[in-house]
Amino acid sequence: MKTLTQIPLGTQVLFGKAAKQRRRIERTIFSVFEAWSYQEIIPPIFDYYDVFTKGMGLELEDTLYRFIDREGNILALRPEFTSLVAKSVATRLADHPKPLRLCYCGEVLRYETPRGGRQREFFQIGLENIGGEHIRSDAEVILVAIESLKKLGIKKFQINLGEIGYFAGIVERIDFSREDLLKIKTFIDLKDVVGLKSEMDRLNLSERRRQIILSLVHLTGDSSVIQTGRHLVSNEKSHQALNNLESLYEELKSHKVDESITIDLSEVRGLDYYTGTIFKIYVPGLGFEIGGGGRYDNLLKNFGCDFPAVGFSFSLERLMSLES
Amino acid sequence: MSKEALTFALSKGRIFDEAAALLKKAGIEMTSDVNSRKLVIPDTQGRFRFFIVKPVDVPTYVEYGVADVGIAGRDVLLESNADVHQPLDLRIGLCKMVVASPKATAKQNYKDLSAVRIATKYPRVTTEYFTQRGVPVEIIPLSGSVELAPLLGLSDRIVDLVATGRTLAENGLEVIEPICDISARLVINRASYQIKRQSISELIQLLAAVIPL
Repeated sequence: MKTLTQIPLGTQVLFGKAAKQRRRIERTIFSVFEAWSYQEIIPPIFDYYDVFTKGMGLELEDTLYRFIDREGNILALRPEFTSLVAKSVATRLADHPKPLRLCYCGEVLRYETPRGGRQREFFQIGLENIGGEHIRSDAEVILVAIESLKKLGIKKFQINLGEIGYFAGIVERIDFSREDLLKIKTFIDLKDVVGLKSEMDRLNLSERRRQIILSLVHLTGDSSVIQTGRHLVSNEKSHQALNNLESLYEELKSHKVDESITIDLSEVRGLDYYTGTIFKIYVPGLGFEIGGGGRYDNLLKNFGCDFPAVGFSFSLERLMSLES
Repeated sequence: MSKEALTFALSKGRIFDEAAALLKKAGIEMTSDVNSRKLVIPDTQGRFRFFIVKPVDVPTYVEYGVADVGIAGRDVLLESNADVHQPLDLRIGLCKMVVASPKATAKQNYKDLSAVRIATKYPRVTTEYFTQRGVPVEIIPLSGSVELAPLLGLSDRIVDLVATGRTLAENGLEVIEPICDISARLVINRASYQIKRQSISELIQLLAAVIPL
């Protein structure tokens, strides 16, 4: 039987040096997480399908490995950890003192073409801070991420810091259908100005809105970007987002980590899920981000328990490829 | 941030001459002839290192960050579905992607067929185009001389690029419908865009200033 020796696309086996390296990176990062009082949580590898679609929004829906159990329930293999952590907190840990500091490490599964150093089964290590104070816990998780990188010996990195509320405030007042918004988001994400312009023509957006959305594409840079962003829009939600971002930046500056921070208001991925701070971590020499995260204040509500939360994860494969 | 040279993927194909001319207009010149056998060519001011690769490979080099930036046809970008930034339409290498068929069958509406058989270099784009219209499609993937396929009875129709339409006409084919306009795009790796922001926005500005109208 050929299936005995053939491997399914997207699976991998680690052994020898690679297995050692993986465990060493995990231990190093966990030692940092522990020092910040994060406790490990080991969630199941599958759960009900709805847990993940309610959790991460529809962006991941197409990539889920689904199956049906003998009672006819639809289950799915985990494509990420956050939904599972949120569910456990809501059902089991809701009355524990806040903030809850939880960390995890393990495989996640997504049915997508293997690329960018990731197979269909790949590994994440990360943490969630649940029920903490807004700016302070955002700053905390970013500081933990930075310390983890330093402990791994990664000296040069860049953290792109944004606030999804800025974009949400802009599009909230425009009557987009779901599909139109998705298209606009995709064009902004690809920085495809040509596609963006023709899509906005089709949607008949006013000149002012066109200008705002086009400017958004390049709103990346040092902390002056926050001011530029302020002059661009007048809605309250976007301004509140910028105030949050500014406070967070000042907080990080007081910890002297601002030299690795870039302000990025053009980040629009994850709009279904994130509600505030979003960030991505880049390292010179690697063409993909090695990790990222953000604030997701609405997620726990889905599980019947209303706590704000913020978290991030690293891609273990990409951390490994940095070392080799 | 870093001021090291940007790596730049270029292809020798359809759009090379126009791309080189555009770069020259923007003040960026390669130090040696691309027809030399060198695969990596620096520019005269030490700002760029050019890789000469196959057209279909440009998005891949850029997506993986081996090249920070590149120039790729929209046809190749659509087909590869590469996850790269594409901030500039360079308005060179202009043509159209079309469905074409032999004159004899051009009048027959393919929607009336139970399935269309299409020869193409663009299986992904073609499949999407027809399935979105509810038409079953059978793809004959070819890597060149696609016009030949209907002549030899390999397919009923083709999906290919058309600039002047001469090659089509010479092979007795005509356009039945356009799929989209094609031109060359500047593409940029996502991480490079962030980490080498300054050099990259300089490049975008230089090129934006010389794009033909």
